[in-house]
Amino acid sequence: MLFTTSSGVEGADPVDAAPQCIEIAPNCSLSVKGALWFFAGTCFGSFSVAGMMAVLGYWPVFPFAGLEMVLLAWALKVSLARRLHRQTITIYDRDVLVESCKGSECVRVVFPRHWAQVKLRRPASRLYPSRLVIESHGRQCEVGDFLTEEERRGLAARLNRLIGRINESPTLA
Amino acid sequence: MAEHTHAPAATSPAHAVHAVHDEHDHRPHGWRRWVYATNHKDIGTMYLVFAGLMFLIGGSFAMVIRAELFEPGMQLVDPQFFNSMTTMHALFMIFGAVMPAWTGLANWLIPMQIGAPDMALPRLNNLSFWILPFAFTLLFSTLFVPGGAPAGGWTLYAPLMVQTGDAFPMTIFAIHMMGASSILGAINVIVTIMNMRAKGMGLLRMPLFVWTWFITAFLLIAAMPVLAGAVTMLLTDHYFGTTFFTATGGGDPIMFQHIFWFFGHPEVYILILPAFGVVSEIIPTFSRKPLFGYETMVYATASIGFLSFIVWAHHMFVTGIPLAGQLFFMLSTMLIAVPTGVKVFNWTATMYKGSLSFEPPMLFALGFLFMFTIGGFSGLMLALVPADYEYHGTYFVVAHFHYVLVPGAIFAIIGAVYYWLPKWSGKMYDMRLATWHFWLSTVFVNVLFFPQHFLGLAGMPRRIPDYAVQFTDWNMVSSIGGFAFGLSQLLFPYIVLKCLRSGEPATGRVWESAHGLEWELPSPAPYHSWGEPPSEALIARGAAH
Repeated sequence: MLFTTSSGVEGADPVDAAPQCIEIAPNCSLSVKGALWFFAGTCFGSFSVAGMMAVLGYWPVFPFAGLEMVLLAWALKVSLARRLHRQTITIYDRDVLVESCKGSECVRVVFPRHWAQVKLRRPASRLYPSRLVIESHGRQCEVGDFLTEEERRGLAARLNRLIGRINESPTLA
Repeated sequence: MAEHTHAPAATSPAHAVHAVHDEHDHRPHGWRRWVYATNHKDIGTMYLVFAGLMFLIGGSFAMVIRAELFEPGMQLVDPQFFNSMTTMHALFMIFGAVMPAWTGLANWLIPMQIGAPDMALPRLNNLSFWILPFAFTLLFSTLFVPGGAPAGGWTLYAPLMVQTGDAFPMTIFAIHMMGASSILGAINVIVTIMNMRAKGMGLLRMPLFVWTWFITAFLLIAAMPVLAGAVTMLLTDHYFGTTFFTATGGGDPIMFQHIFWFFGHPEVYILILPAFGVVSEIIPTFSRKPLFGYETMVYATASIGFLSFIVWAHHMFVTGIPLAGQLFFMLSTMLIAVPTGVKVFNWTATMYKGSLSFEPPMLFALGFLFMFTIGGFSGLMLALVPADYEYHGTYFVVAHFHYVLVPGAIFAIIGAVYYWLPKWSGKMYDMRLATWHFWLSTVFVNVLFFPQHFLGLAGMPRRIPDYAVQFTDWNMVSSIGGFAFGLSQLLFPYIVLKCLRSGEPATGRVWESAHGLEWELPSPAPYHSWGEPPSEALIARGAAH
C-alpha cells in the first residue's frame, strides 16, 4: 500500500497550520497493458497446447485449459482492480475532506472536523474485514477498504490522533 | 498535545504500522485461525505441516516396498498390494509431499521477499490448501475399497489403469482435486509476483527463489490441464463408452503415454526448479559472496522451463517412435544439460574463493549440488536412445529419478527449512542435531539408491515384488539404507519441535551474510510482513546479488 503524507511545518502557528493530507492507494506493480500482454501470452501458450491436443482428437484438454484461463483472467482482474482505488483524506483546521477515486470517478465528502468521528467497525464474522469509517451528522464515508487489517488499524489510530474525538479538534501543527 | 499529534505525520509509515503490530496483534486464535486462514504465513505453515505428514505416509509405503524387496520371494504382501504401494508412494510423495512443501515455502517467502503484505488472493489461497486434505483422504481411502488402491503406477497408463477396481473413480477425482489445488496456488503465485511487488523490486531484482517459483507456476499452468484432460478421458473410456485410448474402438493407448508425459516431464521440473532457487539463496549466504551470474541463472531457469515441454518422448523411446523423433527427443533432452550445467557452474563459482562455513542449510545445499548432479548425469545416460533401450524399465531409472528427487528436491526443502526456520519462529534450532540429520541422510540415501544403479544395469526390472536371486545382495543393502534413511528423517520433526519449544532467540538477520528483504524483518517475522512497502534503498540493499 502507498501512504503519502504531507504535514505542516514544525513550530508553525496552530491557527495557520497547513492541512494534514493522507493519500492511500494499493500498491500495484502490474500495469493494465502489461497484464493484457501477460494474459494474452499465457493464453497463447495454454491454448496452443490444448488446441494441438484437440486437433489430435483429445479435446477434453481444451475445457480444462479454458477454465484455467478464465480463472487467471478473474484473478488478474480482481488484483488489478486495486490500482483504480485512491483515497485522499485531507484534515483542515475546520474540515475533513475525503476524496475517493475509482478510475476517473471521484467522490468528495466533507465533514466538520469538530464533529467528525473515526470508527473502526468490527465485522460480524472473522470471514469479513473490518470497516473504517469517518462519520458525522448521520453521514459516513468508508476509507481504506483495500487495506489489510493491520494497515486499517494503523490508519484508524492515526486518524483518531489527527481528527480527535467528538467535540475535540487537536491542533494540526 | 502538539507533539503527540505531530508524531504520526513525522514517523515513517513503516514504523507506524510496526508499532501497531506490537501493540495489537489481533490474529485469530484456535481452530478458526487455521480453517479460515488467509494470512500467507499461516497457510504456508499448514502446507508445510501437511507436506511433512504426507512425507511420513508416503515414506511408510516405501518401507513396505523395501521390506518386501529385502530378499527374493514373496514375504509380506501380495503382488497387487505391492503395486498399490509403488503407485501410492509416488502419488503421495509427488502431489502430497514435494509439491505442497514448495507451495508452503512459496507462501511463507514470496510476499516477504518481494515486499508484499500478503498473497494477492488470500481466500483463494485458503481454498487451494484446504482442497488437499480432502484429496488425500480420498486417495488414502482407496486402500480399503474392493479391488484395492490403484496399482497401475503414478503414470496411470491406459489400459492398465482402467482395470482398477472401485478405487478408479476415486483416484481420478483425487487427482482432479490435487490439480485444482496446484492451479489455484500457481495462479496466486503468478498474480502476486506480477502485481504485488514493492516499488523498486524490478523483475531482475527478485530473489532467485521467487524467479524459480514464477517459472514453476507457468509450468503448472501449462501442464495441469493436460493431466486433467488425460485422466478425464480415462474416466470416460471406463464409464461412458468413449475409446480415446482403446485400440478396439479406434483409440490409441500410446497416445495416453504421449499426453501423460507431456504433463509428466514438466512436472519433474515443477518439483525441482524451486530447489534451484533455494540453493541459489543458501550458497551465497554461506560463501559470503554474491551469487555468481544472477541473470544467467534466471535465463537458465527459463530455458529449462521451456525445454521441459519438448522432451517428453524420452520416456517412451521403446514404444517405437520413428527414428527422426528419437533423434529429436534425444538431442533436446541432452540440451537441458546446458542450462543445468550453467547453474552448477554458477553455484561452484559462487563458492570459489568464498569464506565458506558449513552450517546445516549449507550442508544440505552442498548435498543437493553433488547428488542432484549424479541424478543429472544418469539422466543424460537415459537420454541416449541406444542406452535407454537397455535401461528402460529397470532399477537404473528408479535410481536416476530418486537421486533427482530425494537428495535433489527433498534435501533442498529440508535445507530451506533449516535456513528460514529461525526467521519464521524467532528461535534457533539445535545445529549439532541438524548436522547429524544431514550426515545420516546423506550416508543412507546413497546406501539406499546407489546400489539401484547396479541392479538396473544388471537387468533388474522395476515394479516387481519378486526377483532373481542374483539381485539379492544389492537389494538387501538398498533396503537397509531405506530403513536407516527413513529412521533418520524422524530427527527432522524432533529438531523443528525442539526449536519451537525451547530454541535460543534468533537475531533478525540470523545468518551474517544473508541478503534479501525477508532478513530486514525482525525474527520472528511479524504476522503481516510489509504493511508498508519497503523503501527502495532497503530493496537495493537486499538485492545484493
